[in-house]
Amino acid sequence: MKKRHLTLTAMLLVVLMISSILTGCGPKEQQTVATTEGSGEKVAEGQTTLTFTVASVPSIDPQLSNSIPSANVIKGFSEGLIRGFEGQIKPGMAEKWDVSEDGLTYTFHLRDTNWSDGSPVTAQDFEYGIKRLLDPANATSYSFAAYIIQNAAEYNSGKITDASQVGVKAIDDKTLEIKLVSPTSYFVSTLDLSCFYPAKKEFVEKYGTDFATSADKILSNGPFILKDWKHEQEIVLEKNPNYWDKDSIKLETVKILQVSDPNTALGMYENGEIDFCDVPTALVEKYQADGKTKVYMSGADDWMRINFKRTEKPWLQNVNFRKALNYAIDRENYVKTATKGLFFPATRLVLPLMAGVNGYYCEEYPINVYPTKADTAKAKEYLDKAMKELNITDPKKIVVEYTISDDDATKLMAEVLQDQVNTNLGISFEIKMVTYKQKLANDTKGDFDLIYNGWGPDYNDPMTYLELWETTNSQNGGKYSNTEFDKLIAAARVEKDAKKRMEMFHKAETILLEDAGFVPLQFRQRAWLSNDNLKNLSRFFIGADTDYVYAYFE
Amino acid sequence: MVNYIFRRLIISLLTVWVLVTAVFILVRVLPGDPFTGEKTTPEIKANMMKYYGFDKPLHVQYGRYIVNLMKGDLGTSLKYHNKKVTDIIAQTFPYSADLGIRALLFALIAGLCLGINAALNMGKFWDYFCIILAIIGVSVPDFILGSLLQYVFALQLKWLPVARWMGFKYTILPVFALSLYTVALITRLMRVSMLEVINQDYVTTAEAKGLSSFEVVWRHQIRNAILPVVTVMGPITAAVLTGTFVIEMIFAVPGMGKFYVQGIHDLDYSLILGMTVFYGVFLVAANFIVDIVYGFVDPRIRITGK
Repeated sequence: MKKRHLTLTAMLLVVLMISSILTGCGPKEQQTVATTEGSGEKVAEGQTTLTFTVASVPSIDPQLSNSIPSANVIKGFSEGLIRGFEGQIKPGMAEKWDVSEDGLTYTFHLRDTNWSDGSPVTAQDFEYGIKRLLDPANATSYSFAAYIIQNAAEYNSGKITDASQVGVKAIDDKTLEIKLVSPTSYFVSTLDLSCFYPAKKEFVEKYGTDFATSADKILSNGPFILKDWKHEQEIVLEKNPNYWDKDSIKLETVKILQVSDPNTALGMYENGEIDFCDVPTALVEKYQADGKTKVYMSGADDWMRINFKRTEKPWLQNVNFRKALNYAIDRENYVKTATKGLFFPATRLVLPLMAGVNGYYCEEYPINVYPTKADTAKAKEYLDKAMKELNITDPKKIVVEYTISDDDATKLMAEVLQDQVNTNLGISFEIKMVTYKQKLANDTKGDFDLIYNGWGPDYNDPMTYLELWETTNSQNGGKYSNTEFDKLIAAARVEKDAKKRMEMFHKAETILLEDAGFVPLQFRQRAWLSNDNLKNLSRFFIGADTDYVYAYFE
Repeated sequence: MVNYIFRRLIISLLTVWVLVTAVFILVRVLPGDPFTGEKTTPEIKANMMKYYGFDKPLHVQYGRYIVNLMKGDLGTSLKYHNKKVTDIIAQTFPYSADLGIRALLFALIAGLCLGINAALNMGKFWDYFCIILAIIGVSVPDFILGSLLQYVFALQLKWLPVARWMGFKYTILPVFALSLYTVALITRLMRVSMLEVINQDYVTTAEAKGLSSFEVVWRHQIRNAILPVVTVMGPITAAVLTGTFVIEMIFAVPGMGKFYVQGIHDLDYSLILGMTVFYGVFLVAANFIVDIVYGFVDPRIRITGK
């Protein structure tokens, strides 16, 4: 029919017109550096560009930033007194350092090296950086990491206002002196955290609040130079020709793309657009079956916190009930069902990767209080004891509410635990889901029976986990309190002999577990994929979790 | 007409003010606060509350916010240190708008074409084809469509890129996924509207006068049938532009969506309020413009002033 053909033709013309206009005003064609071939295919000889994704980079200000992706970026273009790589401490801006007899005074001797604008990196830059971190006017969230320094906590909380009293001083341009509150064996390793990186005073003051808000408003002193930062799209780093250790750096360019959806990132990896990526938990089984995945322990240590101040639920204060809870949970089955076998079952507090005297603390000081499988007989035994002590005959009368945050993964974990506990103990284990922020608020307020909680390490020492259970620690939301435990932790804080320290930790951790002060659940692991020719890319469990600085393609 | 415009303007401003006040109070009612994180000590939190002025009484905070709002200052993000909310919006909105406008244009053109075609070929193949397409478009959520398109066209066939917003070919999948629902909506609307118009007396008159079929369709039928579509353009613009969030996530488009969602998760008061105000003003303005356009297109409104 004439009508149909006419209108169709007219419309096709219109569509063609519009689409040609739209092509013309497309988003600017971006100049992308040659993308890599991925998925283990043969890579072009001498590939020197590494491309990968992170979720989001809110800030690259060394003292203000507070996220792991930010740390991954900052560690590329900036460097502190030392540089950590896979747990090793290598010299960074400091060539060497010495410690005083009493373990309180550290003196760092800086090498001759410059910022990307040609000016020298000085001890004053480090002093300024640390004081900037602690200045209450900057309201940084990581200031607590510097509290081992003399007068740091007092300056940060406003008790003293004179910054010169803080135990950080530039003796001269190349010598930095740091005084600690008490001898701390792991102190030097904490200097790898970006909050301790240097900041040039004149540069920061020149830009004020705009400092570090774009690539031209921050200086580089690390293996790479920050070349370009398209916010929330990509960051480009280029090899720094003036870096003191430039011969160790094999890559010429690093492109860090910001993609928040993990499935999209995986798609980009499969498509050869990026060189490595994490595997979303839901797909782990599929990739592990192909034998392609690598797995690493991410440092996250999760548990059920118990509220010791919940007097209306007296079973929570009863050690036999708490023990029953610990024996009723089948951690092996839990990680298999709730995490597809990816996570590692935890029967103690301290992460297996934590450093001990010479090797790993957990190997040197094993603990065997709770099994990884459930022990239903022991669970029943302790529950009966508890019920007798509390004068309860019907276990269903024992109600506990487990507070978790409202995401699907956590919900599944909680449901598995609920099933195990209710089956093995016959009590009433309920789940309460709240928003993430509400969970944090409830934890601080002490408004919970049991709450899902965890910790990532700030430094490589068992203290980072154990001090959380000290009576006075602000993280101790359940208010667990044991004087023996407190004494051991306080003593370990000032003990200089490494072996004695670790033994104190071991004793303290054992007390905590025998007290059933909490319910250990899991040590998280992450699965990831990478090109076969990509070497020396490090996934670490403290601070920045992706170290690409020394990576190269074979 | 002037009366009509003026009345609409007052209502628009009032709407925005109510929105600001409501959200201002609501974010503070939510449990938790912007600064509590996994590792925040009470001292650090108190410090930050003071730094951002949250320790002052509520009405003082409100007053200060409104005064700044008048000056166009939406404050600083609480999570992205030192980043002004206006800067974040200025940085991300162009991408969301780009995606949204492309989707809108595509939806409008495709929807109109399909709707008109379906009406003119009622009962025949084209009609059924368009209806089925419309039902699919309305039923399938955009994130499923987005992921599906990504899987088929980017990963399997490798015809198009997986994600990001770097050139024209990057826009094809996200725009298509985002627009399909609106295409379906406009198709159905236009089809019904055209069918009503086709049966009107003035169409028969025009044909009897000897006008070509093209002139009949173009000058008489489409022009009248398009009115209902114009009416819904206001709310549709709103829906498409606020509906970009999920598509932005899937295709890694650096738009406002991520910040908005993350802001709510972090309880970043300034960011949530700022973006809500921005969107609110935007939507109210969009509806306001549609009201005015409607006044011009439909002479009945112009004359009666309603």
